[in-house]
Amino acid sequence: MLSIGAEMDPRVEKLAAEIASLGEKEQRALLEQLAEVTFRHGLIELSQSYLKRLQQQGEHNQAAKKVLGKLKQIREEIAAREYPG
Amino acid sequence: MSILDEWIVLDTNIWIFGLRRVSDIPACAQLLGLLDRLYVVLPRQILQELQANFSEEEVRTLFRLLSGLPHRMKINWEKAKQENIEKYQRLGCKLGDAVIAAHLEELGIKILISENRDFLSEVKELPFRRLSAAQALTELEQTAP
Repeated sequence: MLSIGAEMDPRVEKLAAEIASLGEKEQRALLEQLAEVTFRHGLIELSQSYLKRLQQQGEHNQAAKKVLGKLKQIREEIAAREYPG
Repeated sequence: MSILDEWIVLDTNIWIFGLRRVSDIPACAQLLGLLDRLYVVLPRQILQELQANFSEEEVRTLFRLLSGLPHRMKINWEKAKQENIEKYQRLGCKLGDAVIAAHLEELGIKILISENRDFLSEVKELPFRRLSAAQALTELEQTAP
């Protein structure tokens, strides 16, 4: 666990010093880019875990038409529950 | 305004086909790969549909990802107005599609990306455009700097 005064990984320390030397605009652009890369990686991981679960359930090879039919059914069920009037 | 600089809505089927990496419709996965360049709103009905398809853990992951890009991803948890839903039902939409159309109108969204070709096809003069994932990718290529 990292505590105050603990030594940082030298690579992280070097990277932090490099980032700190950037201008405010560049730092902001870097953080935005980091968020985008993290998002993209996270989405790939989500897709992989979702596919794994579908595979376990034997649903990963369903035709697009069948999936679309199921989605339409879910849409109607949710809407009917939310807007019963 | 182009697809790159206006708020858009991705229909549930784009999220699902994209994350399932459905081979018949590769454009959905390609589009999700470019999400960090788009401005995306998730209305209540679509959020609930995603929740119905994903496990609790998958939903948590999705929300965490979306919250990582707060200037590009917007969650709208408001219910659609009954009078707007009824308006689209009168125009021939099923209840669920009417809810989506009402959400888009209320949020001022001008583009809906969907793989459901029948969706709202019966309604003329919608206040938003419908694009397939492939059409959205083409627009992205044409407008990308």
